[in-house]
Amino acid sequence: MANIAAQRIQREFREVIKSEEVAKCHIKLELKNDEYTELKGEIAGPPDTPYDGGVFQLDIIIPETYPFNPPKVKFITKIWHPNISSVTGAICLDILKDQWAAAMTLRTVLLSLQALLSAAEPDDPQDAVVARQYKEQQSVFRQTAKHWTYIYAKGPHREAELEAKVSQLRGMGFEEHKARVALSTCDWNIQRATDHLIS
Amino acid sequence: MKVKIKSWTAVGTWEWVSNDDTCGICRMSFEACCPDCRTPGDDCPLVWGECTHCFHIHCIVKWLQSSQQQQLCPMCRQEWKFKE
Repeated sequence: MANIAAQRIQREFREVIKSEEVAKCHIKLELKNDEYTELKGEIAGPPDTPYDGGVFQLDIIIPETYPFNPPKVKFITKIWHPNISSVTGAICLDILKDQWAAAMTLRTVLLSLQALLSAAEPDDPQDAVVARQYKEQQSVFRQTAKHWTYIYAKGPHREAELEAKVSQLRGMGFEEHKARVALSTCDWNIQRATDHLIS
Repeated sequence: MKVKIKSWTAVGTWEWVSNDDTCGICRMSFEACCPDCRTPGDDCPLVWGECTHCFHIHCIVKWLQSSQQQQLCPMCRQEWKFKE
């Protein structure tokens, strides 16, 4: 790896470890190898959002050309958000693409992702299904996002009514996550979700 | 008493006058050089943009060469112009 990339990540890593946000448990960063090329990030769901109380893990890959090109970041924890793929965890955020600047750091990236959880951009979606629900059925979206946060990110709101519907489809022999995705996609209408799973 | 000076050695110190301690691109101290250089000083000078932000010349040149679209300051995103 180029000298500058590894050296900068070492410094950034030490900076994040000492930062105020880490002390308050808002963000976390761990090394996955000694070469400083792969890291694991963690962000807390922001207050007053459906993600509140959840913990979201991120996969961070540092390119050899860092900091002249952005780090590659995706969600490992499954999440229901218009700008994050519910399938792959890929993120649509301008600073991770063409709006990257060499003065940004892993700390500012993690804080920007936290801000994205507070303020979605449904008109620039990564997941069109989630974005449609966000725009057309805001309360269903919030409930779904809370339920996903409970199931995948250790969130506090169980959303028992939604969980009962997932159990009902499981009883019909469908796999749990597939059933949850189908129900979430079909605004929790059991009949439509069943058709979706069969087709 | 008379003192005869037989020899003397002068020592000077210098520092860059910048508005920051570290280069925002490589995050190395301005008192040190960029990661590609070995000795700080004239071999690895600092440059200023019209926006007043300051970087190691090697770092800002690499950034300007790597950005595909406009040439922007990595700190404030204003158009980058070298300050004369």
